[in-house]
Amino acid sequence: MNQTVTINISGIVFHIDVDAYEELKKYLSKIKSYFKNSEECEEIMMDIEARIAELFSEKISSNNQVIQSKDVEEVIGVMGKPEQYIDEDEEDLEKERKSSHQKHYSSEKKLFRDPDDRMIGGVAAGLAAYIGIESLWLRLFFVVALFIGFGFLLYIILWIVMAEAKTASDKLHMKGEPVNIDNIGRTFKDEADKVSDNFKKHGQQYGKKAESAIESFFNFIGQILNGVFKVLGKVFGVIFLLVGTFMLIGLLSMLIGSETVFSITSDGVFSIPSTEFFNLIFISENQFHMAIIGAAITIGLPIAMLIYAGANLLYKIKTHTGVSIGLFILWVIGIFLCAMIGIRMGTELSYNERDSEIGTSKTIINEDKEDFHLSIATENVPGEGILEDKYFTISLDEDSIYFNDIQVRVYESKSDSFEIEIEKDVAGYSKKDVNSKLNQMNYNYSINNDSILLGNYISTLRKNKIRGQEINVKLYLPIGKSIYLDKSLKHAINNIANVTDTWDSEMLGKRWVMLEDGLTCLDCDEIEGITTIQLDSIRTQMPIEIE
Amino acid sequence: MKIENTKAQMRKGVLEYCILSILKNGEAYPSEIIEKLKAGKLIVVEGTLYPLLTRLKNAGLLSYRWEESKSGPPRKYYQLTEIGTEFLKELETTWNDLVKAVKITSK
Repeated sequence: MNQTVTINISGIVFHIDVDAYEELKKYLSKIKSYFKNSEECEEIMMDIEARIAELFSEKISSNNQVIQSKDVEEVIGVMGKPEQYIDEDEEDLEKERKSSHQKHYSSEKKLFRDPDDRMIGGVAAGLAAYIGIESLWLRLFFVVALFIGFGFLLYIILWIVMAEAKTASDKLHMKGEPVNIDNIGRTFKDEADKVSDNFKKHGQQYGKKAESAIESFFNFIGQILNGVFKVLGKVFGVIFLLVGTFMLIGLLSMLIGSETVFSITSDGVFSIPSTEFFNLIFISENQFHMAIIGAAITIGLPIAMLIYAGANLLYKIKTHTGVSIGLFILWVIGIFLCAMIGIRMGTELSYNERDSEIGTSKTIINEDKEDFHLSIATENVPGEGILEDKYFTISLDEDSIYFNDIQVRVYESKSDSFEIEIEKDVAGYSKKDVNSKLNQMNYNYSINNDSILLGNYISTLRKNKIRGQEINVKLYLPIGKSIYLDKSLKHAINNIANVTDTWDSEMLGKRWVMLEDGLTCLDCDEIEGITTIQLDSIRTQMPIEIE
Repeated sequence: MKIENTKAQMRKGVLEYCILSILKNGEAYPSEIIEKLKAGKLIVVEGTLYPLLTRLKNAGLLSYRWEESKSGPPRKYYQLTEIGTEFLKELETTWNDLVKAVKITSK
């Protein structure tokens, strides 16, 4: 069996018998020389080569993978020899053919860049083919040269100087013939002819090369950047895809999948039955559903876009502009929906005014007493808790909501009597709404002699919803009278002003007296700057001077 | 004067006319054009067609687009341009005139 050669014609790779290869090479050279003087030479060659590749493809079958001499002969028969072509300038070409005949029949090697076996510009592969060694060695040489310093420049220069092998005949020339005594002899002879020829052409060609030098350089830079961006693109693609998918799963499970909403509080993570909870916040069931749809669109679409962008970076996908415009409009609708609900909720909570007599109650406690005792109930809040936190609890039973938002403050009394003021607070959309909600807020406390026991929850009807209900307990303590703050008030006292700027939690379990300067601790041992004070002494000689 | 040359000269003009006529019915790629021309015994070898198509294209009479092919390299599909259509119309009248002239003179 004959040796075979691998060739590339019009982008298709064929295995071809060495003899057939020689024949094909001669044929292509002949055609090329025939059209040599016409401007369209390259284009015509490419068309003819494409057709030859097509004819070869038809010849190849599973049991015949190699192009044989007879195949080439057949193809030449179909395509015809240049002599058989009908052409305009028959006589001119006749002359042309005679003069160029010898030169183009010889198939000496030419230096081309090899576009089929390239890493960057095909310089190494082309050189390797010219010299007749493996391209690997030349690549190694260039890599080493790059580190020594001249490699980059050398490569660029070679790239500029070497033309790319575009047609099959170029490629055949690039690979050339096996070197033998015969060829060497001929090469010497041809070389002499060529030298004079080349001198004539050089003038023109150098102009062209300089022009394409800049172009080639940018091509080169472009190719490197392109490579970098491609890799980065894939990395980002994977990241986008993963993050997007994760977020989408999260969103879906939050909106549809789970029955509960998770709330992260200072006490840990709590789950709340979502429908129940949201029904207590949104005005109506419809609004609740609209909010879900709005949120799904507004948050979901960008996530979907992220996933899409990731997928697009990994695998090119075609998009219809119609679809993207549609999605954008949908997104705007989603935002609009959210904004509407936001505005509606805003107005729902916008109103805070109330008639002064509603929601505030004042009690004056027995004037004789000197010491008071303040504590808050520690019983469990009724109903089933939907939100349970140290500081904030919401619980439900069949028709009521219970809150524990109770704030206790101590002020100096403007009269001589100890007063306790209970102020209810709620948000609503109108004065009337606020007033009606205040009326339906229930809060209990009891006064027994000198001890006050505050209730630890507020209750209201379910229809009043969660609207920031809270109770402010304001104690007005006359100067000279004292109050004991029980430890049960831990979560209720709120920034009670005192002369020593003692923190709320430190104030508990101690007795405080109201002096002209403010609340002063009675049984604090050695708080900075203050000595233990006796109640009696204060009554007689007040205030005490601080050293 | 060689008979072969004269024949070739005659065929050459008609060949351009025929190629344009084939493309009048829509776009085609070289192999399809070749088949019809072979059927009409206008050309013997395919190589003739490619330079002709390239020249007609460069003259602005034809345009082409690429299409991927399953069984080989991508194909050029040629079609008539507006100029090409005009050109073909003129050739048609000229051809008819020539046929008449031949009929009249060869009687």
